[in-house]
Amino acid sequence: MKHFGILMQKEWRENIRNYKIYWIPAIFILLGITEPAVNYFLPQILEASGGLPEGAVFEIPTPTPEQILMAVLQQFQTIGMAVLILAYMATIAGERKSGTATLLYVRPLSFSAYFLSKWVVAAAISLASVWLGFFSGYYYTRLFFGEVEIIKLLQMIGFYSFWVLLILTIVLAASAALPNGGLAAAAAFALYVLLQLADGLLGANWSVSPVKIPQYAATWLTGNPDLPSLWGAVGITVVIILVLFGFGSWISRKNKAKTKV
Amino acid sequence: MDQTTLILALLPILIIQLALMIFALVDLIKNPNPNGPKWMWGIFIVVINIIGPILYFVIGRKNY
Amino acid sequence: MNIVEVERLTKRYGQENAAEELSFALEEGTATALIGPNGAGKTTTLSMLADLLSPTSGKVTMAKGLTIGFLPQYPQFFPWLTALEFTEMAAKLSGVETKKARLQATRTLEFVGLGTALTKKTGAFSGGMKQRLGLAQAIVHQPKLLLLDEPISALDPTGRREIMDLLKSLQQDTTILYSTHILNDAEEMTDQLLFMKDGRLIEQGSLSEVRDRHANPRIRIRFQNYAQAVEFAEGQAWGSEVKENSIFLPVQKSGPTMQQVLQVLASKKQDVLGVEFQTASLEEIFLKVVAGK
Repeated sequence: MKHFGILMQKEWRENIRNYKIYWIPAIFILLGITEPAVNYFLPQILEASGGLPEGAVFEIPTPTPEQILMAVLQQFQTIGMAVLILAYMATIAGERKSGTATLLYVRPLSFSAYFLSKWVVAAAISLASVWLGFFSGYYYTRLFFGEVEIIKLLQMIGFYSFWVLLILTIVLAASAALPNGGLAAAAAFALYVLLQLADGLLGANWSVSPVKIPQYAATWLTGNPDLPSLWGAVGITVVIILVLFGFGSWISRKNKAKTKV
Repeated sequence: MDQTTLILALLPILIIQLALMIFALVDLIKNPNPNGPKWMWGIFIVVINIIGPILYFVIGRKNY
Repeated sequence: MNIVEVERLTKRYGQENAAEELSFALEEGTATALIGPNGAGKTTTLSMLADLLSPTSGKVTMAKGLTIGFLPQYPQFFPWLTALEFTEMAAKLSGVETKKARLQATRTLEFVGLGTALTKKTGAFSGGMKQRLGLAQAIVHQPKLLLLDEPISALDPTGRREIMDLLKSLQQDTTILYSTHILNDAEEMTDQLLFMKDGRLIEQGSLSEVRDRHANPRIRIRFQNYAQAVEFAEGQAWGSEVKENSIFLPVQKSGPTMQQVLQVLASKKQDVLGVEFQTASLEEIFLKVVAGK
């Protein structure tokens, strides 16, 4: 796998020089901090906006620190995943479309190294961002709302990471298969929504669905995860990711004729 | 928690937002060939908090 | 020895034949010019040889272990890499040892005239610099076969001259196949000519073979005026053509030779402005062949 190292160096340089290595973590840290901060200041915000009649006593139940961290996870599920999909949608399709891939494809390239190098770098940045986001959220949650055991947080993040990797792998495979980044993002979003929908409608009996990983991960905070289901879901996720590695490498090679010459 | 600690505690949010904005602006100014008019991206970045810089990095930058 | 043999190579897109039944061979150490108007199928042909496109039918046989360098017509680079970073990566991906790659990349960039732009980002390169960098990435691993798509068309005359000289210096140990529509350049560096039109090869052979077939050597005699030309034309047995003040005598096996023409002129005491031997340029031959098919 000599090509893997060479290509990974290229991916690193790309992600540093297009600033993804800075702005993606920045977004996740912001998301992580905003949730506890907004909740903490909600009473003051409501008061300042003058929405309450004079003298009215409006009891807002103070959320528990666990609830705040779950809300952070919700933010990551919506805005966070959208950011990752947008950031990496053009990873392969963009290279073909601009023609920069041509000068790689004319060499005796290992396409599995090509796909994997992109995956490893994107995964490293995405996971680091998600972790940093959770840690900053955790810091503020403790500051404003009280203690949560760090081990609970780590367990949640650890399992949630598999979900992040699944989303990322789907985006990269879509980028390898489709003609441009926009379509890849659309396909990834569509799949994301469809999976959630299918799980919501029919998933009552599918305890090992990968789509349930985020909610399983969240149950670490409250303490009672359904371990067999969780590990089952993680197992299936890993298998899907491995299958997508194969598919992504194969379709990248197959689409090599579509690079702009 | 007193007022000063609170402000200090919230400073990071402000700093990150500001940093994103400045980062995006500096990059826009140096960018020889953004995807769309420069002034439009300038307004986006400054006016639309967080989303503006992200949109610029994802769509506007064109990877020069 | 042929290092590449192409047999009935065809690429079809729907109903359209981008390349149709191409057969030719590349002999080791030779330069072959692929000539044709835009849309003739030159890029398609080169892309199939570079293994970017797979042919619809036909086959390409290459010598075992043949290393290839490819320069597209409009090479695109990762704009955030420097020239040296890119060329070094290209070298490594093409199998150059990691230890040697940087040195080899540096030397190649110096060779193509980018020695002062090693650490410059390629995004800031001009068109001419990109063309040079494109050449550098194609030759950095010292390939046995070089495929070049319009390597000089985008350059100014000075740059064109320099790159032609570079290519000629590579010719000793490299087999070159390049496409062009600038026929003066083709004439300068070619052992074999391939004329393409509408996806088909309409003429092929060495420069002298193609010349023999199509050059139509003629002797042109220029007179003072049209009347003199007509008078001379009527007074001799060779078939001739009169145009303005000149007549053109096609040179065939049966003559006339230059000496015979001069003798006739001398014997008639005919005063002329000039007598010259004319042969069609490659461009004229090409236009003729293309028009004829």
